[in-house]
Amino acid sequence: MKRVNILIAVVLLIFAGYYAWLTTALPTRNLPNTMGIDFFPWVLCTLMTGLSLLLLLKSLFFGTSEKCAYRFEWIEIKEILLFLILTDAYIQTMDFIGFLIATPVYLAILMIGSGSRRWKEIALISVLTSIGIYLFFDKIFQVILPSGKLL
Amino acid sequence: MNDPLFTALFEVLRYENVLASFIGVIFGLFIGMMPGLTISLGMVLLLPLTYKLSAISSVCLLLGLYASGMTGGSFSAILINIPGTPSASATALDGHAMAQKGRAGEALGIAVTSSFFGGIFGLACLWLAAPIIARVALNFGAVELFAIVLLGLTLICSFGQESNIKGLLSGILGLIIMTVGLDPMMGTPRFTFNSVELQAGISFLPAMIGLFAVPQIIRGLSGKSTVIPKYDEKVSGVLPKLRNLVKLVKSMLIGSLVGTGVGAIPGTGGPIAVFLAYDYARKSSKSGHNFGKGEPEGIAAPEAANNAVAGGALIPMLTLGIPGDPITAILLGALLIHGLIPGPLLFSQNAHFVYAVFWAYLVANIMNLAVSFSTIKLWVRVLKVPERILIPIIVVVCIVGTYGLRNTFFDTAIMLAFGILAYLMNKYGFPVVPMLLAIILGPSLESNLRMSLVLSEGDWTVFFRHPISLGFILLSLVSFFGPLILPAIRSRLRKTCEENTP
Repeated sequence: MKRVNILIAVVLLIFAGYYAWLTTALPTRNLPNTMGIDFFPWVLCTLMTGLSLLLLLKSLFFGTSEKCAYRFEWIEIKEILLFLILTDAYIQTMDFIGFLIATPVYLAILMIGSGSRRWKEIALISVLTSIGIYLFFDKIFQVILPSGKLL
Repeated sequence: MNDPLFTALFEVLRYENVLASFIGVIFGLFIGMMPGLTISLGMVLLLPLTYKLSAISSVCLLLGLYASGMTGGSFSAILINIPGTPSASATALDGHAMAQKGRAGEALGIAVTSSFFGGIFGLACLWLAAPIIARVALNFGAVELFAIVLLGLTLICSFGQESNIKGLLSGILGLIIMTVGLDPMMGTPRFTFNSVELQAGISFLPAMIGLFAVPQIIRGLSGKSTVIPKYDEKVSGVLPKLRNLVKLVKSMLIGSLVGTGVGAIPGTGGPIAVFLAYDYARKSSKSGHNFGKGEPEGIAAPEAANNAVAGGALIPMLTLGIPGDPITAILLGALLIHGLIPGPLLFSQNAHFVYAVFWAYLVANIMNLAVSFSTIKLWVRVLKVPERILIPIIVVVCIVGTYGLRNTFFDTAIMLAFGILAYLMNKYGFPVVPMLLAIILGPSLESNLRMSLVLSEGDWTVFFRHPISLGFILLSLVSFFGPLILPAIRSRLRKTCEENTP
């Protein structure tokens, strides 16, 4: 717990440093009596550094009474990555095969991934939901969904 | 009949707005009663649709969801002892005990009636207090507005968090994210990395969807969803008898007062209000000893409280532009989409719209009462819908919703990025609400700060020369440093007491 907080504080300090470096690169063009465009970022940078240092010192010298599930399991990282890759693939393929074909496949994979094993239910729900969402967004709310380059 | 009060009423009663309210209520009951799905999630799922609706229809839709979501939360609390929303936690204590005694129908009826009572009470307070506060706030300039926004942010960041430093860090991170895009005063690009999409800044809508929906999606997909226990699907005697209701009026009144009061304080919210209301009702009741064993008053007080919270939370949101909880923050976002900036000026420039909000909330409460009573037996069965089906549908709705904003998947990527960030934040004890608030209030905070300094010709003492601003800044300092210092003072006092105790 204590170690995780120390690690977070260090990461945030590095981020604050990076943000400060980006802020120094901002143009200094200014109007009379006004704070420049870098003024607010500097305020935030200072607060971020101060609070991160506070978190670091508190964790180092006083510990923490937080009761959170901090353990990150590899299987969890794998699941998140899988979800992101799958979603990215869905978005990429949607441009080619269109919403109405890509979505039932994506939905079916997600349902199987979350433990569904009733094949008829998976097929029916993924197809009907895709059509429902398409009609709702495309026809009622005029959100033009990708129709695909192949079709 | 040109009075804005009446024109707003006629506007709200137009069929498309009543329909929007009806859809909001149905969706709210569903989302509220499903364990694992929150009202905030329901709001962000509907938010992309509000782009295509009129401002009043959007408000009808979202307020319908807000009012009924709270009621829906009590259904699962009573039937399966799992609160659908955190605000229904206290209802489970007596509600489920009643259900176990075969009085589930009666408990559900009390929950729906008390929710209606609390909702109407909260609305009455909103209607009375909001115009007065707005009239006072109308005299506020950039200096005072900066101080108010600062106070709102520090309150949310500091209070009710397990670690105050992490709450504040979350808020600062949100403000940093909002510095991306064009500078609000000079129009110069900041932190855009030469990306055209980033020049418009980070849109708060994908950020909201990411912060609230994606962590729940990841949890649901990784099989960490709630398992619904078996429960009795047959409920009867839902409509409460008048003489039984009369006995509950005192508890409902206590709940409503506590709910409205707590709701009006930014950073508090429903869960605190319901347990306070439950405790007050128990202490003031003749049958206090029966609380926790299936006492109807133990349902009436928290249920009235959680619906009254909504009315209370709308007071600072509408009058000062400071949302008290994540739900009102999302509601504020919906208004911003339509170019309506909540605050004192909304009352003077858009009185018609403000009245429409009041009427819409009244319609939402009436609709919630009617729909809940007429379809309660159906809702009892809806609990059986498994999350393994719901979660994938939510994923697609989120993707399509964010895509539909600008017909680009850039916003979807932003949503996913915020979602992963929120998941990690939840995991490591960082609250996401301060970040959301900072994302919404950040631009206003920066513009008012810089505007004040321009008007005072760079004189920083301007914030301390205006008494209202000084008051708000002092309160901000107390709320900022208080939680950091108080634990140390408390532990020092405890140590001194222990040393002096023989």
